[in-house]
Amino acid sequence: MVPTRSRRTALAALGALAALALTPAAQAADRWKPNPPASSYGPMFDNLFALITLLIGVSFAIMLVVLLIPVVRDRARPGHKAKFDHGNSLHDKRFTAIVSVTVFFVLDASVLVIAMQDLREGFWNIPKPDTPDVLQVEVLAQQWAWNFRTPGADGTFGTPDDVVTINELTVPEGRPVVVNEASKDVIHSFYIPDMRIKRDANPGAINEIWFEPVKSGDFDILCAELCGYAHYQMHGKLHVLPAAEYDTWLGEASRIAQAGYDASDTEARWAWEFKGVAGR
Amino acid sequence: MSGDHIHPEPTSFLRKYIFSTDHKVIAKQFMWLGFVWLMVGGTMAMMIRWQLAYPGKPFPLLGNILYPRSGGVIPPDGYNTLFTMHGTIMIFLGLTPLLIGAFGNFCIPLMIGARDMIFPTLNMLSFWTVVIGAGVAFYSLFVPLGAAEGGWTAYPTLSSNVGTPGHGETLWAIAVFFIGASSIMGGINYITTVVRLRAPGMTWGRLPLTIWGLLFTAALNVLFLPVIGSAMILMVLDRQFGTSFYVPATMAQGGGGDPILYQHLFWIFGHPEVYILILPAWGIISDILSFFARKPAFAYKVTVGAMAAVTVLSAVVYGHHMFVTGMTAMLGESFMLLTMIISVPGEILFFNWLHTLWRGNLRFTTPMLFSMGVIFVFGLGGLTGIYLATISTDIYLHDTYFVVGHFHLTMAASSLFGAFAGTYFWFPKMFGKMLSERLGKLHFWATIIPLTIVFCTMFFSGYGGMPRRYYDHTDNPYTNELQWLNVITSVAAFVLGTAQLIFAWNVIKTVAVGRQAAQNPWEVGTLEWTVPSPPPHHNFDTLPLVTTGPHEFSNPAIKDGRDWIYQTEPLAT
Amino acid sequence: MTRLFLNSGAALALLAALAGLTAPGDEGEEGKAPAPAGPFSLAPRTAMLEITQPDKQLAWVKDIEELAGQQPGRFRQDGEHWVDSTGEYAWDDENEVYWRTVSAATLTRGRQDFVQFCASCHGMEGDGYGRSAQGLRPPPRSFHQSTFKFTKVPGEFLPNDGALIKLVHHGLDGTPMLKWAVSDDRLHDILSYVKSLSGPGEGWHDETNEIGPEVFTPPDPWVGKEKEAIDEGRKAYHVRQCWSCHPAYATTAQINEMRGGDASQTYRSDLYYSVLKKDSSYEVQGYKVAILPPDFTWQTLRYSSTPFETFQTIAAGISGAGMPTWGRATAESPKGAVDESEIWAIAHYVRSLVDTYHGKPDARAAFMASLRGGQ
Repeated sequence: MVPTRSRRTALAALGALAALALTPAAQAADRWKPNPPASSYGPMFDNLFALITLLIGVSFAIMLVVLLIPVVRDRARPGHKAKFDHGNSLHDKRFTAIVSVTVFFVLDASVLVIAMQDLREGFWNIPKPDTPDVLQVEVLAQQWAWNFRTPGADGTFGTPDDVVTINELTVPEGRPVVVNEASKDVIHSFYIPDMRIKRDANPGAINEIWFEPVKSGDFDILCAELCGYAHYQMHGKLHVLPAAEYDTWLGEASRIAQAGYDASDTEARWAWEFKGVAGR
Repeated sequence: MSGDHIHPEPTSFLRKYIFSTDHKVIAKQFMWLGFVWLMVGGTMAMMIRWQLAYPGKPFPLLGNILYPRSGGVIPPDGYNTLFTMHGTIMIFLGLTPLLIGAFGNFCIPLMIGARDMIFPTLNMLSFWTVVIGAGVAFYSLFVPLGAAEGGWTAYPTLSSNVGTPGHGETLWAIAVFFIGASSIMGGINYITTVVRLRAPGMTWGRLPLTIWGLLFTAALNVLFLPVIGSAMILMVLDRQFGTSFYVPATMAQGGGGDPILYQHLFWIFGHPEVYILILPAWGIISDILSFFARKPAFAYKVTVGAMAAVTVLSAVVYGHHMFVTGMTAMLGESFMLLTMIISVPGEILFFNWLHTLWRGNLRFTTPMLFSMGVIFVFGLGGLTGIYLATISTDIYLHDTYFVVGHFHLTMAASSLFGAFAGTYFWFPKMFGKMLSERLGKLHFWATIIPLTIVFCTMFFSGYGGMPRRYYDHTDNPYTNELQWLNVITSVAAFVLGTAQLIFAWNVIKTVAVGRQAAQNPWEVGTLEWTVPSPPPHHNFDTLPLVTTGPHEFSNPAIKDGRDWIYQTEPLAT
Repeated sequence: MTRLFLNSGAALALLAALAGLTAPGDEGEEGKAPAPAGPFSLAPRTAMLEITQPDKQLAWVKDIEELAGQQPGRFRQDGEHWVDSTGEYAWDDENEVYWRTVSAATLTRGRQDFVQFCASCHGMEGDGYGRSAQGLRPPPRSFHQSTFKFTKVPGEFLPNDGALIKLVHHGLDGTPMLKWAVSDDRLHDILSYVKSLSGPGEGWHDETNEIGPEVFTPPDPWVGKEKEAIDEGRKAYHVRQCWSCHPAYATTAQINEMRGGDASQTYRSDLYYSVLKKDSSYEVQGYKVAILPPDFTWQTLRYSSTPFETFQTIAAGISGAGMPTWGRATAESPKGAVDESEIWAIAHYVRSLVDTYHGKPDARAAFMASLRGGQ
């Protein structure tokens, strides 16, 4: 056996090492959960997540208890015998059936039903283009940046006042934003954690998602699909402006876009046009 | 039929140890291959965790040897190679050879009472095909531009020439193809052996559950490995011969493929692959729990039925990997429903395991601890799967660390625990020497505690919104807020990695100077324990006549004071 | 394709290709761009990872002894030659420069890293037309041109390695040119390869070119008097007619007043917007791409997040984009038209514009409207 003193020294050394290794963690224990949702259907995620956590937490606790009771009670010892039972009786089968059906309905089916409702109301409830107030935005992903295109003040794409930006998307608060995404090269995934949305941007096909920001501010846009070496550097900003300020922004942005418009540079618009050919 | 399979024992070194057709030797070959690659893949995991916790700091010891041009710091391309090869190696070259190659080969003939596999040469070929695949994968690490960098899922168009120039990705596809071909050979062999070579009296109802697990795995292998094989062929054609199966028309002149096609092909294979890895573990622990609870496996037929149901359903749930690729609402909802349904047989298995333990006479041997560990980690991983099966929560969690935590607990940790349980359990039979129980128990506790911390912390970072496969989470403000979780994960991961040295030491010490194992150290009645440890060349001098089931523990009909009975002994009625 | 499989020679080639030796269907020679129009050709691009010819590149001119004095340990002398980790330097009597011979091995390493990190935008051939860069504005630099925008080296010189490495590590804000986490060791090789892409007799292959230092940057004379600097800078910005390309940030009356009451100046009608520069040297597939100079209250500045960086950008100018060099190379160089303290003041002023109005559409709109109202 190791002498107590050197064991204590070793323990102290181990503790010091662990403390040293964990220092960066202790320095920056900022956050372990998402920021509050900033989109209209964001709370649906939070609520369903909480419900599932509750359900599986209870299930897991029950499982642990059922696992631990025999560990404590039924450990092998002289004079103790196991109960001989193949579990093939009708009673056992009925019991198994009842428990599994109950678990399915409590754990799976309830979540399933709520999820379907949420999806129809939220994620899949993409506003039709003719709905008033809908803002159409296009996303063209590339290695390793997000290109955004917003129709200018005239409200249509393909005109000199289209606002094209890199890594910065500006949208108004309180209006549904429909995002059409595609990619130039590899698959990317458009992910705004605070809006609780994500969808892949595929080359050669167009994916549609929508969200309605309910608070103004700056939010992070991340890429959630491996897209090469700089996958981790592919992030942008979503600026949500109050509706009036957005109108100001859009007016000026379209005017500046016009100032920078070069009619003979067809190449500059190629990427957006091919997207139209691909799917719409 | 079964009597036909007697060959003289080979005498030359080459035929005896290298190109052997003896299932026991092939099992050991698979086992060493698996252990070596688990070590390589594990080291890669340590490097990944180092980079994530301490980005831009040189990796200790190995860094300067592997990455001299960046001063020991793992560069972004090196990092992508690391996580790609970590996944590929762990799945295809670590766990598959260990669980299916080693235990499948060793257990099937011995447990069903056969003298060898039905196709011994195919069996040998299956091993050497894996070696070719492993060789190609290893070679790919040294080609210009390095090994594959497209993730173990290798989605085009990143894995086409568009995203990964160089030969690494091509060689990766070829390696996976060879490993898949090997699994198909093995699968055909296992199924045919179990169907044709069972000893007299070994009815379907008397098969140990380990064999059932391996049988279902073999079926999945035979059905779904061809799919990945064809996907790999198309990928090689795309990369080397200018076809465009996976490259859309918008990107290639005269093209017209679809990257989503690959995702379908991959996950049609990829989801069953999860069950390919977990079914043998389920079978093994179903047996071991009964063996050491000294109690029959609860509801044997229901367990088999549940495993069969999982096998069938595994083929129709793969779409849940693609909820955010652009799947239509109807398809998404169908896959969500099917995924929820597959949890039912899983629940039944849990129920039967817990019921097997209930009112048993539990012997906490190392195999038993690891089997109970499977219940724990698979419970944790399986339940968190509900978040990911549900589209509305998966949208947020997809491709974050939540997924990483989930699939490591279910597919990696559970299968690995099953493999450890099997190793501790069958080691005396395979090598004739007992692994140290003291070190084994230390290994168990030193593994399960950090392992739980590692993957549960990943749930938190994923819930916080940290995408996976990032080289450096401090690069953007959003994930930088979650960096402190990375540090905790990594420190726990280093402890976990170090703890595996206990196991390595245990194995090396035992093989070198271990104590001789008795014929039946665990007091278990299945057929492999009726023969000496290690078994002779032809396993059984006379083919056994099976008269009882595998789990007749504590049967009141046993009158001689034992609580177990060999499958060859008749139960007094 | 069928024949290819039947042909045993092709089968051997296939084996060789799989073994990573060669690849069928190599794409063109080095330096020759493919001719994509819209969707690009998908012939295999795995080839050309090896370069067999060493390249002669212009290196530090004339004063290699001095440089060796500044960086002890970098060079060793090998007879007539100077050697460092990147190549061998030999004096060329006729042209009076040191030529550096970069070995094929260095270029191969550089080429491979270039393909890994740079080719998706800058193109497999370094022509600035990578698959991810199509339609990207402003376009990525074509390395066949040997001009660089934000190296902070005065426009008449080729940028030195240190400046280029600094640029790669810094990245260009608001573009896909990221802050690359590539080690200096690998960057040196990448740069050698990039320099080898200049056309024959151009760029680093032109012995009349000189590699220049970072622009002369005296200490900021306005430390502690930033407010005065901004006022001074505002005056200098408008008097020096920065508004002939960039927007003006004062009413015409105010500008006249800054010019000392001189009302002879005529102003363009869209004084509060930038002027599209159609004469840039930015070529994409032969087309000269127009560049819009930034409006400091609106656009993201590429490499100017501190007054120091802004000073260097203004002083060094932006090669090929129409922004002239306002400063000078070294303290010994003849003084330019504008004094350094004035450039510092303009830098402070530009920063104050960014800080006050960038990303604040309402405040900016009110400010600009007040100017237009007073025009």
